[in-house]
Amino acid sequence: MILNASMFLPILPEILLVALGAVVLILDLVLPKKQHRNIGWVTAAGMGVILLLSIPARPETEPSLVWGGMLRHDWLGFSFTMLFIFGAGITALFAMDFKKLGHRGEFYLLMIVSTIGMALMVSAADLVMLYLAIETTAIPLYILAGFFIRDDKSTEAGFKYFLFGAMTSAIMLYGFSLLFGFAGTTNIYQIAQSVREGGLPAGALIGSMLLVLVGFSFKIAGVPFHFWSPDVYEGSPTPVAGFLSTASKAAGFVVLLRFMMVVFPDITLQWGAVITAMSVATMTLGNLLALTQKNIKRMLAYSSIAHAGYALIGVAVISQVGVSSMVYYLIVYLVTNLAAFGIVASCGRITGSDEMTAYYGMSRRSPWLALALLVALLSLAGMPPLGGFVAKFFVFAAAVDANMIWLAVIGVLNAIIGMYYYLTVLKYVYLYRSEDEEKPLLVTRPQKLAITVLTVGIILIGTVLVPWFNWATTAAASVF
Amino acid sequence: MIPDMILFILLAIVAVTSALGMLLSRSAVYSALNLVLNFGTVAVLYLLLGAPFIALAQITVYAGAIMVLFLFVIMLLGVEQLRKGSALPWQQTLAIISGLLLLALTAYVIFIRPMTLPQVSPTQLGFGTPGAIGEILFNKYLLPFEVTSVLLLVAMIGAIVLTGKREPKTKT
Repeated sequence: MILNASMFLPILPEILLVALGAVVLILDLVLPKKQHRNIGWVTAAGMGVILLLSIPARPETEPSLVWGGMLRHDWLGFSFTMLFIFGAGITALFAMDFKKLGHRGEFYLLMIVSTIGMALMVSAADLVMLYLAIETTAIPLYILAGFFIRDDKSTEAGFKYFLFGAMTSAIMLYGFSLLFGFAGTTNIYQIAQSVREGGLPAGALIGSMLLVLVGFSFKIAGVPFHFWSPDVYEGSPTPVAGFLSTASKAAGFVVLLRFMMVVFPDITLQWGAVITAMSVATMTLGNLLALTQKNIKRMLAYSSIAHAGYALIGVAVISQVGVSSMVYYLIVYLVTNLAAFGIVASCGRITGSDEMTAYYGMSRRSPWLALALLVALLSLAGMPPLGGFVAKFFVFAAAVDANMIWLAVIGVLNAIIGMYYYLTVLKYVYLYRSEDEEKPLLVTRPQKLAITVLTVGIILIGTVLVPWFNWATTAAASVF
Repeated sequence: MIPDMILFILLAIVAVTSALGMLLSRSAVYSALNLVLNFGTVAVLYLLLGAPFIALAQITVYAGAIMVLFLFVIMLLGVEQLRKGSALPWQQTLAIISGLLLLALTAYVIFIRPMTLPQVSPTQLGFGTPGAIGEILFNKYLLPFEVTSVLLLVAMIGAIVLTGKREPKTKT
């Protein structure tokens, strides 16, 4: 392998992210303590610049394997890389004004490295690369979840996340080693070929599929591997929880999709059934448990479990329509949930509480923030004309298209349950009164910017459908 | 062939004895030293199998770095002598049962149902040497290699974040 300039083009976003990480580290060292907050601006602006500079790195229509078969340069990987970079930039804006979080350069570095990991995860085409990418994503996230070392809940969140992650990683590695042992290669496309030629006994194939699925379900917090998520989201710093629940989860979904579609096309019946069961369990359990939550971060955690269930429908139906509906769902979910967690972060910074009682009468304290929360929660609930409605519509349509009407019916019933707890929060915000009504909720400039971008995004995705849908379809087509 | 066999049996005896010594010794320091001996013998076994790189990695990483770390921890925590009786009473029974199960399973596979493994092509000359590993590491696996360096850096920074400077405590 002789290096030449064109080989670096496919990994341009990752290289730029490493460079941004180096800049952040140096700034952390040279800037006086008072100006450390500005590293957040640098990170967010850097992410914006990386988005623009990555345009030449976009893949051709024909996907190709690069770097000795380690990565696959295709639209699915590229689109999600761009989404993660966007999400990281927004998270930097939300975190800037938290004194113990955004005023420390390490926070931004850890987030950037995690983003690199996700970018590699979604385009990895080799078991070695895939595992390394998953760990590069997860290890900084463990640290970020436990970032407030003086706060017991945060430490608990970090540790719990770490233990769950290590355990499921180990089980996933068993699956990987079985696949490698039977196929004799680590490249997933070559494994697929060896499966087609009948090199693997059916038992080993199904066994390794189940083992690998454990690791991926942990990433997407699918039932029964969801136990960590409410505690971790509640304990970790809110901007981190937002990043965890969106970017990390979306990366898990893409890996799950690519792996299942590429390596196990022969046993679609089996894994389709497993994923369908998981989808039903995930959305039902998530929604039912969200009903009784008193803490808004826990409520959002259970709601994000439920959303993983909806998105899994797109995988379970095993069709191109299903895949593009899942991609669309993830785009919407990333933008909407980032907004919801961002608003909770902005609120929690002033009120110092994430309990529902802190949201009583919020519309009188900050009408604009309340409006943004209204948009975000209604989109999560799936109301037109917001992004969430279109996303749910496509996912359910994919289920009907694949003759799984019962799955769509369960999804719709769940969406109705979900409506209840989102509207309850809005009831607190708009109808309840509180004693603190005179105290305005101050939202800082970076938070205002981020919330505005996300709210406009939610409305745009819900109203101007065509470009987003085309994007999702292009990305989905590159899997097959 | 015969000298290989004799060498293997001698090494195997040393390896198993030192492993037992590590498990049964009451003193943590003796346990650690037995483990060093075990790592060393296993490294020689790797050499016999024609894997010099792994043998040396075993010596430097396990017998060297990790054991020094172990001994430091034992010294700093001051747990040279183990207390009598383990914390979990059912642990010993469980360990014995699972150990016997493993033994039975191994015996079954070896003696009663010998699995036929597919024919493995004989290793080529130079397989597993540091040169060959370097070659593959910097060619096919260049990208994972570089990503590992980022991962190690971030793990180091994470360790500093989680353990390093804390806000000064209010003095009483």
